[in-house]
Amino acid sequence: MNTTVEVLGFAREPGWLPWAVQYFFLIGISTAAFFLSLPGLVWRHPDWRGISRRALLAALVCGLTAPVALLADLHQPGRFLNFYLHPNLGSWMAWGSFFIPLYLLGLIGYAWLCLRPLLAEMAKRPSPFAALYRKLAYGGHDNPSAIKAAALVATLGAVLVLLYTGMEVMVVQARPLWNTALLPLIFAVTAMTGGIGMTALFEALTGNLKSAPLLNQWLARGVWLTLALLVLWLVSGLLGTSTAAHEALAATRASFGWLVTGGWLVGSTLLTLWLARNHQNSLVMPALLALHGAWLIRWIVFIGGQSLPKMGSASQSYTLTLTPDSLLGIVGMAGLCLALYIILTSLIPWDDQANA
Amino acid sequence: MNAQPDLSRRAFFTALPAVTAGLAMPAHAADETTPHWAMLVDTRRCIACQACTMACSMENVSPEGQFRTVVATYAVTDQAGKTGLAVLPRLCNHCEEPPCIPVCPVGATFKRKDGIVLVDGDRCVGCAYCVQACPYDARFVNHNTGKADKCTFCSHRVEAGLLPACVETCVGGARIFGDINNPQSDISRRLAAADGKTRVLKPEAGTNPRVFYIGLEQQLDGRIDGASTADMMWRPDTQGA
Ligand code: SF4
Ligand code: SF4
Repeated sequence: MNTTVEVLGFAREPGWLPWAVQYFFLIGISTAAFFLSLPGLVWRHPDWRGISRRALLAALVCGLTAPVALLADLHQPGRFLNFYLHPNLGSWMAWGSFFIPLYLLGLIGYAWLCLRPLLAEMAKRPSPFAALYRKLAYGGHDNPSAIKAAALVATLGAVLVLLYTGMEVMVVQARPLWNTALLPLIFAVTAMTGGIGMTALFEALTGNLKSAPLLNQWLARGVWLTLALLVLWLVSGLLGTSTAAHEALAATRASFGWLVTGGWLVGSTLLTLWLARNHQNSLVMPALLALHGAWLIRWIVFIGGQSLPKMGSASQSYTLTLTPDSLLGIVGMAGLCLALYIILTSLIPWDDQANA
Repeated sequence: MNAQPDLSRRAFFTALPAVTAGLAMPAHAADETTPHWAMLVDTRRCIACQACTMACSMENVSPEGQFRTVVATYAVTDQAGKTGLAVLPRLCNHCEEPPCIPVCPVGATFKRKDGIVLVDGDRCVGCAYCVQACPYDARFVNHNTGKADKCTFCSHRVEAGLLPACVETCVGGARIFGDINNPQSDISRRLAAADGKTRVLKPEAGTNPRVFYIGLEQQLDGRIDGASTADMMWRPDTQGA
């Protein structure tokens, strides 16, 4: 076997920037949080009523922020029109441009139907916004059938969003870390744990600690599933049953950076599991770790996956910089989430008293 | 053949018996009315001078640090401890089955009848999905335009009857460009003469490239397990100028 040293190599910088990580993270969390809103708001399960309300808030905050990251990644936001003027229906990304509005319109409609009685209630209280609440309440009727119908549309949209976000990345044969049938499942399951994390965080922020055991129970299930999928991927790569996973392992095995990344991922996932199982009444730490895990997986897949060379030996390691495409973008998206959270919680009460 | 000039640079090859020409013709040889452009890279003639890299950058006004073609260069040491230089001129392969095309959400990237894969800059949204899908790292998002960019085989020059800039400038004559539908073209004759000795990059990717190589080591045809001096070098963009 000859040994080579690449004297002059040309590694490309990543085409998908941290914007992509932010988008996939937020839209995944939004769909998962939407699913968590169903038991309380559609099936009216008493144990879930409060959690589901906060889950709806999480779905709205993340769902409304996510497309901003997507538009920012196009370098020139007006370009999105071409998605609708010239769709190539053989591309998963093209389908995504239809699934996102379907989901978001469904979600907004569903949220409005769920909040109507509360908005009518707010209209009766002395407030400078009373007239606005009255208009928004549009009679304030609680219509379970309409809620079910809107939930159905949003569910369809959410499932399709989860499907396309997984498939879009999975079909790229040129990227061995992406090209595995397990990827859509890993994205979906970590979206679920991230969605639970965001809901739990909102529970903690609104001071509803009694839902912690239920949320931690579901978080633990999600983390077990994540671990199982990661082990499956590793085994498929080691045994060579998945050529792509095998190639990804071969490309990363000699790298200390990848070893640390893998260790960090497994370690933090195990810590999340331990906390969710052994500290069932705590909300904040398991929530933050669940969010960290969902984000980390996407960072590793996108930024790490693009650093593996397609040709030659030179890897393109990504460095965070203080630019809008990088660190400022990440902070900006977090800021947008925070702003939306503040606006929505200022206008509408989301705590349990609001149920009364 | 047609209104297009014969783009052969090395006319002496026309003296070779035409009978060998048909033997190693790629699938498109049957359609002789439309040209089908391709490139043959004879790595034995390449001296890694990067004249092609520069000529391409000048011709196509590539942004700083972004290249449509490059010549990757390797120091290869065999089991006996002997070290030699190996080169790999790289560009878009104008694949017959290009994975960059089906992924494009707006149909901005397409393959012309003459085999050249192009990007419609008006339609491209700069989503970089094609950049991900290309197995050869041939594409990039142009820093100046924010749209997909790649080698076009210098289609604007070819349409004017000229050779691609890299071919024109190659000091060693390592790049041979021409019409593989024309059995008399230089490239067809050379492909025929080198029957069985040409390779393409990552044949397992199933892309059916239209850039062929003579003298390419299999070990160099994709990702290479080896060290990279780029990882050891000072880089002005990351370490500061
Ligand atoms: S080399 Fe890459 S960019 Fe060029 S046609 Fe093939 S897949 Fe497309
Ligand atoms: S960057 Fe342009 S050519 Fe490439 S997939 Fe996106 S829209 Fe198509």
